[in-house]
Parts: sequence; C-alpha cells; structure tokens
Amino acid sequence: MSSCGAVVGGVSLDNVDVTTQAVIQGVVTKGGQPANIGYNRLHDRNDEFVAEVPLNSKGEFRFFAGPGDWIVVTLVPGGVVRTQVSAELGKIADLDISVD
Amino acid sequence: MSRNEVLVDSEWALAHLDDPKVVFVEVDEDADAYSVNHIRGAVGLNWRVDLQDGLRRDVISKAGLEKLLSEKGISNDDTIVLYGGNNNWFAAYAYWYLKLYGHQDVRLLDGGRKKWELDGLELVSDATVRPATTYVAKEQDRSLRAFRDDVVNAIGVQNLVDVRSPDEYAGRLLAPAHLPQETSQVPGHIPTAASIPWSKAANEDGTFKSDEELKALYEGAGVDLNKDTIAYCRIGERSSHSWFVLRELLGIKNVRNYDGSWTEYGSLIGVPVALGDEPGTA
Repeated sequence: MSSCGAVVGGVSLDNVDVTTQAVIQGVVTKGGQPANIGYNRLHDRNDEFVAEVPLNSKGEFRFFAGPGDWIVVTLVPGGVVRTQVSAELGKIADLDISVD
Repeated sequence: MSRNEVLVDSEWALAHLDDPKVVFVEVDEDADAYSVNHIRGAVGLNWRVDLQDGLRRDVISKAGLEKLLSEKGISNDDTIVLYGGNNNWFAAYAYWYLKLYGHQDVRLLDGGRKKWELDGLELVSDATVRPATTYVAKEQDRSLRAFRDDVVNAIGVQNLVDVRSPDEYAGRLLAPAHLPQETSQVPGHIPTAASIPWSKAANEDGTFKSDEELKALYEGAGVDLNKDTIAYCRIGERSSHSWFVLRELLGIKNVRNYDGSWTEYGSLIGVPVALGDEPGTA
C-alpha cells in the first residue's frame, strides 16, 4: 500500500519516469548554509495548500506537481519565504531559495 | 468531547514528559524520523509496519493491536499523546485507530512534530524502553468506520467530505503533489462529495484552527452537520485528520472515516464517479 506521507527531502527520482511528471525541486539555504530544519509547502494557482515536505539534511525538497503556476512556501525557524514557479510536464524546475 | 480533552499544546506536553501515566507516541510513515530524534520518552509507531495488516488491506486485528501496545509498554489506563510528521496525519490516523479499538484517553499534540521542531524544542535520539504490559483492546467500534457499500449508499443521502487537495478532487492530480502521479485508479471524486481539503482545518504551523473557524469551514461548504458524515481521502489518513476535527473537536455525532478511500473507490467496477470542481449529482 502506497502511503500519502511525505518523505524527508521528497521522493527520489530513481525509477520515476520524469517525462510523465512536472517536477519542482530545489535547495533552501539559510545564511549560506543548507537549511536542514524546515518545511516546504506547495500552493496552487489559487494559493490553496496542496502538499508539504520536510527539508532533508542538505536543505533539499521535491514535488511532483501538474503543469502550471505554483507557489512554494518555505517555513524555517523564524522565517517564511514565498517563491513563484511554473512547472511543465517532462521538465524539472530547479529552485534556489535563500532564507536570511 | 471538548478540545481540552483531545488536544494538548507543547506547554502541557513539556509539563507531562515525566508523568508515568502519560505515554507520548510518535507515528510516522517510516521509522527514520523517530530513529533520528523524537520527544524525550516517546515510543514510535511505524504506520506501514505496525498499523497495516501486511497481507490484506486492512487495519491490524484486535489481537495484533493488543500485542503491539503491550510490547510498547502502553496500559489501558494510560493517557496516550500522539504526534507525528505530515501535520499529524498519521498521528490522527493512529488516534482514529485507537478509538476504533476503544482506548479511553487519547490526545493529539497540536502542531505535531513540525511545530515542535520549528519552535526549537528538545528532541533526543535515545531509544525509549518501557516495561511490557498486558493491553486489552475492545472490539472494533464500527460506528467510526465506513466501508465501500456504506459510501455508495451515502451518495446524495449523507454528507460525503473529500479532504484531498482541490486538484485531486477534480481529477487533475491522482496523488498528493509530493508523490509521483500514479495511474492505478481513475481520477475524480465520489458524486455529491463536498471538497473540503484537510489543510483548511490547520494553520501553517500544523495546529488546528479554532472551533469557530472549523464550524464555519464545514457549514460554509454546505455541509449539514445534523446529517451523518463520511470523510475520505486517498488512503484514509488525511481523512482521519478531518474526522478528528468533526467528531472530536466539534463534537459532531455519526462521523465515520472511510479508510478504503479513493484508492479503493477509484478502482471499483461500476460505481459512479464525478470529474471536475463541482460535486456532481447522485
């Protein structure tokens, strides 16, 4: 049974056919270092919450969105940052998010 | 039930970390989060290993739960405080589970692991060992659980509440967006179901919204709280979060969780399915 749970950093791309996915991924840094305590939330075009993943020890995250416009909301201790991004099927949107 | 009887905040938790009759239990999808660190004294439950039958798609048996809780050192008269990742989805699932088997005093830590981490509160990596007990569970309380025939019969008659994201409801996504999109089920929702995502019941830090906000959320979406209600999602843990809101926080009677959820319904032969943002008709 596949769970709905989010794994730390997001699901690996190993064994995933990315041509069928619209991937949004990236790294969150705080003070120039990977933010290893924090969460990224994905909001849709109406700013409605869709998904959330904890950042891994390298500050990394990954979502499997649909094509279109999305907002990544980054929560770290003491800070919140919003980043707009467009996703396309078969492509990987890479983000560098700095929280200072 | 009132909010104070089923929900605790971090201040309460910190004051009861050494209370011998309070057992903190972290529930996650995998064991990694708990094994890295956890609230001091907490025991861990693995959703996939401990709370699934393993052969059939079902909850574990009464005997299985008795064995599990006995090994974890939990007694019938303990206060169990559940918390976990994913905004307490799996903790809420375990809450529903423990109520299904009749545990008297179960509570959720408001905000779960996320708020605890973001607040910078102490987490330890030492394994917790509690002396084994002899836990005795009750028979399943079927008034808390809906099966597929209950759901089909509820179309257009009872409240059906789809708590997945709007894009999953409409059929634009087949799974939450932190997972690869699957094709094992058809997309869409159960006709007449209202779309009320679980996330609307929670604040950004994972805590539950106020009772007034929660009541307005469901009534504003056209849910007649005087009627019987079935909540569902994809596999039944996000809907446990909404079941907790409706039954335990708002005190609405006759609210059931459909743990088969869309993974089951979306694979059934011959049942009606609705696509798009509107509930559809019976």
